[in-house]
Amino acid sequence: MMKKIFLPMLLLLIIPSLSYALTADEIVERSNLAYYYAGDDGRADLNMRITDRRGRVRIREMTLLRKDIKDGGRQKFYVYFKKPSDVSRMVFMVWKQVKGDDDRWLYIPAIDLVKRIASSDKRSSFAGGVFTYEDVSGRRTSDDTHELLDDEQYNGKAVYVVKNSPKDTGEVEFSYYIARIDKKTFLPVKGEYYDKSGKLYRTISVDKTGLVDGIPTVLQATAENLSRGMKTTIEFKDVAYNVGIKERIFRERYLRRPPKEVKR
Amino acid sequence: MRETRRLCTLKTHLLLAALLYWACAVFLYPVPAAAVEGFVEGAYGYRTQRDVTKKDSFNLLEARAQLKGVYEPPVFEALSPEADLKAELIADGYDDRLILKVREAALAFTPLDFIDVKLGRQILTWGTGDYIFINDLFPKDYVSFFIGRDDEYLKVPSDALRVSLFTEAVNLDMVLIPVMEPDISVIGKRLSFFDGLSGQVLGEDAARVFIEPREIAENMELAFRAYRTIGRMEAALYLFRGFYKEPRGILDGAKSEFFYPRLHVIGMSLRGPVLGGIGNFELGYYDSREDRGGGNPMIENPSIKYLAGYTQDLGSDASIGFQYEVEQMLHHGAYRDGLAPGASVRDEFRHLLTMRFTKLYSGQTVVTSLFVFFSPSDMDAYLRPGVSYKVTDSWKVTAGANIILGRDEFTDFGTFRRNDNLYMRVRYSF
Repeated sequence: MMKKIFLPMLLLLIIPSLSYALTADEIVERSNLAYYYAGDDGRADLNMRITDRRGRVRIREMTLLRKDIKDGGRQKFYVYFKKPSDVSRMVFMVWKQVKGDDDRWLYIPAIDLVKRIASSDKRSSFAGGVFTYEDVSGRRTSDDTHELLDDEQYNGKAVYVVKNSPKDTGEVEFSYYIARIDKKTFLPVKGEYYDKSGKLYRTISVDKTGLVDGIPTVLQATAENLSRGMKTTIEFKDVAYNVGIKERIFRERYLRRPPKEVKR
Repeated sequence: MRETRRLCTLKTHLLLAALLYWACAVFLYPVPAAAVEGFVEGAYGYRTQRDVTKKDSFNLLEARAQLKGVYEPPVFEALSPEADLKAELIADGYDDRLILKVREAALAFTPLDFIDVKLGRQILTWGTGDYIFINDLFPKDYVSFFIGRDDEYLKVPSDALRVSLFTEAVNLDMVLIPVMEPDISVIGKRLSFFDGLSGQVLGEDAARVFIEPREIAENMELAFRAYRTIGRMEAALYLFRGFYKEPRGILDGAKSEFFYPRLHVIGMSLRGPVLGGIGNFELGYYDSREDRGGGNPMIENPSIKYLAGYTQDLGSDASIGFQYEVEQMLHHGAYRDGLAPGASVRDEFRHLLTMRFTKLYSGQTVVTSLFVFFSPSDMDAYLRPGVSYKVTDSWKVTAGANIILGRDEFTDFGTFRRNDNLYMRVRYSF
C-alpha cells in the first residue's frame, strides 16, 4: 500500500512533468484505492450529524468494519448502529460486488429479524443524510468515464481536477461530477455534483485528513445538498487499519452477536 | 384464568432464574458500560364500528415504558458472555390494570469458537416471509397486530435454549422450548370474532377456554434450522416438533374448550437476488399428528404451505414487495366426509396475496407504508396503511389503520371484519 503512494510521490517530486503521464483513469483508480481500500481491513467509529433546512440536527453513531476481499474489487462492510437509541444494535451489512447489485442485509434486534434488502438504488441516502450508499462504500470506477480537466492548487493542496460522467445516465441523478483529488495522497478533496440541467446541487468536502498507521485517511467529510438545504458531516474516530478482521464476521452469526471489533 | 393457572409453572421458574442471574451479574460486577436505553409511549386505537366487545369505542389505550440493557459481565471473558434484559411497564386503559412484562432476559455466550448459546427469554425469528410465517413456529401476538401496536409486539418471546453451530459447510440452529408458548389469539376481548360453534359473532361474552399442553418432558418443543449460503442464495432446511400455536383442536364444543394439537413441520426456504430484486421461496409440510388422516373435523387437517415473494427497490426511497401463499389442505375429502351436514366447508386451497409498498420522505424521517393481505379464494382482505414521522431523534409519531374486509364471516380475515380501527402512537426514546 505504502509503495503505491510513495512511488508516484517520488516521481512527482523528481520529474514534475511526469505527473501528466497519469491518465484520468489511473488517477481515479488510485483515488478509489486510497479512499475505499486502505489497508486490508479497517474499522472506524462514525459520528454523523445531519442538519436540515430548518437547522434541526439529528445524530447517528455507528461503528464500521470493512474487509477487502480484493483491492479495488469485492469488499464486505458491517455497520453497527449505536445511536439514536431506537436503532441501537441494529446492523447493516453489505457485500459489495464487482458486477450486479450489492448484497445488503439489515438485522433488527427487537424482532430478531435478518432482512435481506433489495438494493438496486445505490444513490439513495445512507442513514437519512446527504451521503449516499455509494459515497460510503464507493462508486465503481468503471461506471463512469473520466476526463482530466486540469491540475490546480485547491485549499493549499495540489490537486487533479477530474470530470466523471456516468455511462448509464438513467441510473443516477447527476449528469456528471467534478472530483478534486490530492496529488500527494490521492484522497478526494472535493466532489461537485451537477444535475441534469447542469446546475451544481450537491457537494462533498473533505474537511480533515490525517495519517493513521502511516496511511493518509479522511477524518471528516461534509456533504451538502444545495437544493434541499441539507447538510451532513461524518467524523471518523478511532480509525484503525489491518486489525485482522476475519471474513466470517460478515455473516448472519455476527448480526446477532456483534464481534468484539465493534465494541472497543 | 390462564394467567392464574400459570403462576407457578416451569416457565416462571426459568424466567426467575434468568432474572436472578441478571441481577447477580449486574450487582456483583457493576460496570457503567451496562447502558440502559428505552422509550415511553402512549397509544390509542379508535374503533370505527360498533361491536360486542367490552369497550366499544376503542380497543387500544395504553402507556408503555420500555427499558433495555445489555451487560457484559467481566467474568469468563473467553466465552464473551452477554446478558440482555428488556422489560416493560404498561398502564393498560382497556383493562384498567398495570402490567410488568419481561420481553428479554437471556444470557448469551460462546463456549467454543464455533458454538453460540443463548439461554433465557428471547425473541426468535427465522424464515423468509413478510408477515407470513411458515417455518417460524415461534409465538406471535395477533391481537397486538390487529389493534395497531408496533411491529415489535407481533413477536412473543420464548423461554428457550438456543444452540447455534457454525461450520464451513452448514450452520445449525437448535432451539429447545421446555414449555410451549402459544400465540396470543383473538378471544373476544379487544377484538370480536365469528364463532363457528355458535354461528355468531362473539365479543366480551365469549368464553373460550384454551387448554395448553401439560408441562412434561414429552411436550417440549424442538425447532431446527440448517442453513448456508450457496453463491448469493441463502438456503435453509427446517424441522419442528411441537404444537400448533393457535388452538386448532376442539376438545369440547359445548363448553367451548379448545386445545393445541400436536404438530410436526418439515420445510425449506431459499432467498436471494432475482431479476434486480430479492426473491424468496418457502414451503412447509404441516403434519398434524393427531389427525394425520384428516378425517377428524375437530382437529386441523395436515397441510402444505407454499410461499413465493419478490421485493424490488424502486429508487427514490421507495420499495414494493409481493407475496403469494397457497395453503393446501391435504385430506380434503376425508375432512368433508367428517363434517356434520350443513356445516360451512373450508376450501382445499387457500390463496393469499400480499403487497407491501413503502416510501420514505424528508430525509427518511417520514415513512409511509401500505401492507395488503388479499385472499381471492376466501374473498377477504386486511389493509394496513400507516405513516410515521420522526420529529427528532427522540420523538416519533405514528398513525395508521387496520381495515378488515370479508364477504363471509367464517374466513381467516372475515372473522374479524367488525374490528376496523384507527390508531396513533407517540413515542419518546432515550
